[in-house]
Amino acid sequence: MGLFSPWFLAGALAVGLPIWLHLLKRSKTDPKQFPSLMFFEHRETSSVKHRKLDYILLFILRTLMLLLLALLFAHPYFRRSTPANKGERITVIAVDRSFSMRASSGASTRLDQAKAEALSVLNSVPANTKAQVVALSGKLEAMTQQVTDVGQLRAAINAIQPSDSRASYGELARYLRTLRDSAGVPIDVHLISDLQKSGMPPGFNDLRLQPGTNLTLHPIGPKDKPQPNWAVESVNAPARIYDNKKAHISATIAGFNAPASTRTVSLVLNGKTVASKSVQVPENGRGTVEFVGLEASFGFNKCEVRIDSADGLAADDRYPFAVEHADSKKILFVDDGRRPNPQKFFRAALESSGDTEFAMDVLSPPAAAGSTLNGYSVVVLSDLGSLPGGLEANLQKFVSAGGGLFESLGVNSISMAKAPVLDEAILGSAYAQKTGDRFYSVAEMDQTHPVVKSLEHMDGVEFFQAAMVASTKANVLARLSDGTPLLLEKRVGEGYVLAFTSSLDQASNNFPYKPVYVPFVEEVVRYLGRGGAGQPANMPVDGFVELRSGTGQQGVTTEVLDPDGQRVLTLDEAATARNFALSREGFFEVKNAAGRRSIIAAVADRRESDLTPLPEESQKLWIATGASNDPGVQTAQTAATKVDGAVNQISLAPYLLVLLLLLALAESVIANRYLRSSAQPLES
Amino acid sequence: MQRFLDPAVLAGISSLDLVAKTVVDGFISGLHRSPDFGFSQEFAEYKAYMPGDDLRHVDWNVFARSERMVLKRFKGETNTQVTVLIDASRSMKYGSAKMEKLEYARFLAASVIYLAHLQRDAAGLIVFDDEVRNFVAPSSRQGQMMRIMHAIDQAEATNTRTDFGKPFAHLMDFLRKRGLVVAISDFWENPETVIRNVAPLRSRGNELVLFHVLDPEEIQPKLKGSVLLEDLETGATMQVSQEYARNEYKGKMTAHLADIKDRAIAAGIDYFLCDTSKPLDAALRQYLAIRTGRL
Repeated sequence: MGLFSPWFLAGALAVGLPIWLHLLKRSKTDPKQFPSLMFFEHRETSSVKHRKLDYILLFILRTLMLLLLALLFAHPYFRRSTPANKGERITVIAVDRSFSMRASSGASTRLDQAKAEALSVLNSVPANTKAQVVALSGKLEAMTQQVTDVGQLRAAINAIQPSDSRASYGELARYLRTLRDSAGVPIDVHLISDLQKSGMPPGFNDLRLQPGTNLTLHPIGPKDKPQPNWAVESVNAPARIYDNKKAHISATIAGFNAPASTRTVSLVLNGKTVASKSVQVPENGRGTVEFVGLEASFGFNKCEVRIDSADGLAADDRYPFAVEHADSKKILFVDDGRRPNPQKFFRAALESSGDTEFAMDVLSPPAAAGSTLNGYSVVVLSDLGSLPGGLEANLQKFVSAGGGLFESLGVNSISMAKAPVLDEAILGSAYAQKTGDRFYSVAEMDQTHPVVKSLEHMDGVEFFQAAMVASTKANVLARLSDGTPLLLEKRVGEGYVLAFTSSLDQASNNFPYKPVYVPFVEEVVRYLGRGGAGQPANMPVDGFVELRSGTGQQGVTTEVLDPDGQRVLTLDEAATARNFALSREGFFEVKNAAGRRSIIAAVADRRESDLTPLPEESQKLWIATGASNDPGVQTAQTAATKVDGAVNQISLAPYLLVLLLLLALAESVIANRYLRSSAQPLES
Repeated sequence: MQRFLDPAVLAGISSLDLVAKTVVDGFISGLHRSPDFGFSQEFAEYKAYMPGDDLRHVDWNVFARSERMVLKRFKGETNTQVTVLIDASRSMKYGSAKMEKLEYARFLAASVIYLAHLQRDAAGLIVFDDEVRNFVAPSSRQGQMMRIMHAIDQAEATNTRTDFGKPFAHLMDFLRKRGLVVAISDFWENPETVIRNVAPLRSRGNELVLFHVLDPEEIQPKLKGSVLLEDLETGATMQVSQEYARNEYKGKMTAHLADIKDRAIAAGIDYFLCDTSKPLDAALRQYLAIRTGRL
């Protein structure tokens, strides 16, 4: 029996309250009539012992309730040994198969050495002892159940394959805690790993083990000093290029525990080396190399940056990335010709961005209504006073199919009842008055949204007029200082609509004169032209790729091919799965539910390239957590563990809580009875 | 018959004269065989006729035999004047049991009056608190008893204190003839004051009887813990502990009762302590013993 928080027992002093209520306060009652006080003298009760407690049962209940409450806060527990186990134990053999275990020292890889060590450990396990084999990487995979069949365990060890995930010791500790609690018997854990420092969780507490967990570490790798390693740490390349000559690719080469050296960096395009450069990598430092121009063919290209490291871990000497070479996307600017400036400002902003991703056409509203919009990726409506018949339906169809619509709702648009396709009512116009605020400024911005998150200095932009658009279904990305929505977004089918409630020229604001106008236009067309935020072309291993976004895509078949060209999804998964995990490094070919085909490059976490092992002190600390969390009781618990196998701390809180509730019920009933009996004479 | 003398039983009888009759008749019927007591028209003595005497009382048989006119006198014709004083102050309203002290005093007074009526004594009544609230002059006329009974019945406790000075001074103004004065009160006053006020009556040759009516709670209070007591007459409150009531109060009350009794005896006044929880006959028995001895 013990208390987790014994200082809460001080709360038991609160029993003074019922004593005061029932004993001391009792003297303050209604006066009792007496013929004469001639022979009485004022005399308080001399001592508490001469006083009688009133409502004795109620007093007992209330005192017990307070004592129980104090005890409940003190969180009592009792220790229960598990003699029934009679020495039964479970052995867990955990084999690290993370990306770093691909490193070789000599003829074999670290994973091979780990498996050999695991087999050796298995041989030392006493017969008829339950054991389990687990494989450790980003997540823990149980290769067997807890069995006594040595053959099954040996086969499981041999079946462990290397992965490209990052080791997570915190995940192993969490599993061991769960196992210890559920099994109720002591467990012996053999972790066979290179014990990378980078596999540590953010907080050491995540490594905590339950008492009765005997952890034995089997380090793999060089004992004396960390193995040197060079790696392509990162590659910065555009996911989509429109002009091969303008493509810029930069790569960072890092040396971990490695001396200064010169490495040759090669750029490989679709399996063919197209460029090579040398880079100086300082001792334990990084070097950067840059390639300009990439002769990529149209469509997706599988690219790699490679180095000639000749170190133990060859897997991180290549860094895959995917690049899509695409034609410039076309933007349709619908302008009624009443004001020429919006078109000029918009085009100037688009061309000054330096990117040839987009080309702009201009059409009048009637012409746009009659033409097919399939060839465009973005349509811009520039402050139209009205829409000709058929244009809105045309736009609706265009957006639903995945197109992007950007509409400017300036002074002319006020005459419309609602914003086209956005389907939100236009309530009127907000004008900055000379007598009040001379202009509105941007007061709120949703910094998480791709369009506005990179925009800065919007504070200097002055708005004199804005359309007041309702926001019942649309998301408001930015608001003016008077609360009027400035930028609204709504998803329609596969595409998006963005509504800007002011003009694109200087008629209603000074926005075009500000530097922030150019990145704003650039981000808007880029966001809408890619069908929203879009799927990144390069992702880490264990990342998730979205296959379908809405419920309307249920049943549409998707397709995923792994780097070996094998289908990743079953037929059922292909029809229903919303996403899938990138399980290994390489190029995955994905066809999502919208029918878009893409190539996604999965890259192993480069923190695995740092082969520095866990410090010995940390290893000892981790092992010590399995003995006890409290150093003061460590010795006693260890002794108890030796005799009984395990000691569990069973909390008494639930029982006390039930008892407290029963007492509270009884107190209510009895107090109610007393109240009723004292009220009756008054009524009569 | 004893059960009819229980105050609680008597309280259930609405008619006061019936109460008195029940008490006295039942009480006397239990006593008539005693040689020491008697209330019938018993011969007492012969007295020589004097002019002015009532001729109805002349013993004509003696006159026929001896030609002497003598008057035949009976014991019941002592012609004593009985005046009953009832304290109707606020404190008499108190009653821890079924009967209040004032109710008990009413029954006691009615019984005394009835006894006097039986003896054809003149009877009078004074109801007082700090003033004389009602006064029925002593008389032996027809209907006097009913008048007194009615006055007793009307006696109600007021919100005032007791003052023994005024009623006894009033009594001395009206009392021309010696007689018996019966005072019924709880005597919540200094014994010296009480006796000082009533003693002048005694010095005028009156017989004085004090019926000290007290509730059992007054003699021995049974408090539960510390209690806030309120004086019925003054309205003052006082926090009183249980142990004080059990010890000090009891001692003071005993001393008070002894003091008032000693002072009464010293002044030649008969004193009876009447516990309202006890039957009326105890008090009446003592009263009659005294009364008979002094006839």
